[in-house]
Amino acid sequence: MSDLFIAASSDTPEIDFQFSNKTLTISGEAYPENGVEFFRPILKNLQSHLNSMSGEQLEFNFKLTYFNSVSTKILYSMFELLNEYAKNNPNCVLLNWFHDEEDDMILSFGLDIQEDFTWIDFSAIAIS
Amino acid sequence: MLSTNIKKSKAGLSEIEAEYIAKSLIVYCTTVTAKQTNKEVTKLLEEHRDLVSIAVVEHNKPIGLINRNYFMEDMAKPFRHDLFDRKSCIAFMNKDPLIVNESLSIQELSFKVLDSGSKTLNDGFIITDENGDYLGIGTGEDLVKVVTFLQAEKNRLITESINYASVIQQSFLRLSNEDMGNVLHEYFMHWEPRDKVGGDYYFCKKFKDGYFLALIDCTGHGVPGAFMTLIMSAFLGGVLLDKEARLDPAKVLSIMNQRVKFTLGQIADPQDDKHDFSSSKEGQSDDGMDTAFCWINTEKDELVYAGAKMPLFYIDTHDHHHKEPEIHSLEPDRKGVGYIDTPMDYKWTNRTLKLTKKMCIYITSDGLVDQIGGTKKIAFGKKRFVALLKDNYHKPMTEQQTLLTQAFYDYQGKQKRRDDLCLMGFRY
Repeated sequence: MSDLFIAASSDTPEIDFQFSNKTLTISGEAYPENGVEFFRPILKNLQSHLNSMSGEQLEFNFKLTYFNSVSTKILYSMFELLNEYAKNNPNCVLLNWFHDEEDDMILSFGLDIQEDFTWIDFSAIAIS
Repeated sequence: MLSTNIKKSKAGLSEIEAEYIAKSLIVYCTTVTAKQTNKEVTKLLEEHRDLVSIAVVEHNKPIGLINRNYFMEDMAKPFRHDLFDRKSCIAFMNKDPLIVNESLSIQELSFKVLDSGSKTLNDGFIITDENGDYLGIGTGEDLVKVVTFLQAEKNRLITESINYASVIQQSFLRLSNEDMGNVLHEYFMHWEPRDKVGGDYYFCKKFKDGYFLALIDCTGHGVPGAFMTLIMSAFLGGVLLDKEARLDPAKVLSIMNQRVKFTLGQIADPQDDKHDFSSSKEGQSDDGMDTAFCWINTEKDELVYAGAKMPLFYIDTHDHHHKEPEIHSLEPDRKGVGYIDTPMDYKWTNRTLKLTKKMCIYITSDGLVDQIGGTKKIAFGKKRFVALLKDNYHKPMTEQQTLLTQAFYDYQGKQKRRDDLCLMGFRY
């Protein structure tokens, strides 16, 4: 299973999907002018990996500090894919939600995600 | 020379680009043939001090380029004149200069020149007609001049266009500004698009028994965002023509949702697999808005709010239960208006707030709370915003505007502005 790595730019995040280690990490900021174009291949990649997996544990590390509204919609699609996988493979997806202890915006978005995607195990991790 | 050819063009972008092609760079027409000697070339270069290079041409076809500096340096070495004076000038020519067609665009030409290395920038390049016949030489210096001019011209046109778009976007706020001035006793409205025009907007309309107030955050910023604000504003004005509509902001949101989805064709197709990321519909938009709609009934002292992802904050200064008045909020529904994934029949929720005299109401777009800054480079945050309101609500509204925006600018520091900003407050 091939890993996916995309280095960060000023307005796109770092994508570090280590399918070989079952650890997927997204970090940095996401506000590209055309978010759909940036994220589509990443979501496709994630989807095809998830389709080929069964009963395997997956850890997703969310470390974004900023994302615009278009990216927010795409992130929702991403969590929908993970939620779908977790539904078919209960207790197999752990979402680590990293946020600065003072960052109430990222935390509250995380709590929305937790509420909306109930199959995913959610863990908020405050960084000091 | 060339600088006189550059004129202030009034034409549009594509016309300017079509006007400037390789042909417009032709400057030198002096040539030599392979039969001519180095002595003749020396003489030619001494007579024409401005010649950077001379093309060697046989039967109208260019075969090489002699560069002045390179030639003169070589000829200045010991015995060179004795050895080479009477020999053919091809001895010192570059046999492989860059040769381009006269109709090549300036942009393509620039890439070719850069690809061919620094030598071409110094020596220049040969320009030919469609048959490959020699027409003249272009110099690197003139190319840089034209590229710079075209860049400046493009910037000028785009800037002028955005400046005028800003005039239109602001004049569309005129009626709202007038009504706001009439109905609100003490207020501020801080509208600050990131790129001169933007997707944040506001709306106010006066009625005999109150006023309708909206803060709008459309998808995108810049010109596309501004397009959306005009569409939304026009729709909202239209919906409010219905005499009863204002009383039910949640219903106004539903009607707007349907109009936007219908007009922009943003309707989810049940046939589509929403997980199919490989297919993207060409030209399919997915635009909408986050917003707070408020109907303020001045006869009943009541505010009816319906929100799409945009909360409303208020402070009841007559809150006797607490020594220090608390900041409260009316929470929005978590669906935006008009987007593909918002159902056509989605219903928002009205929340009613009893207004008391001197109560302070605030609404902001997410441009404020989401802005990255501070030493940790994290979002400004809702907590910080609420704390600022709590510290300052008793001050005059215009002073609060200054304090809030200053806190925002200080927090942003050297970070890039991430989004448009629209922030308002009023005292009832």
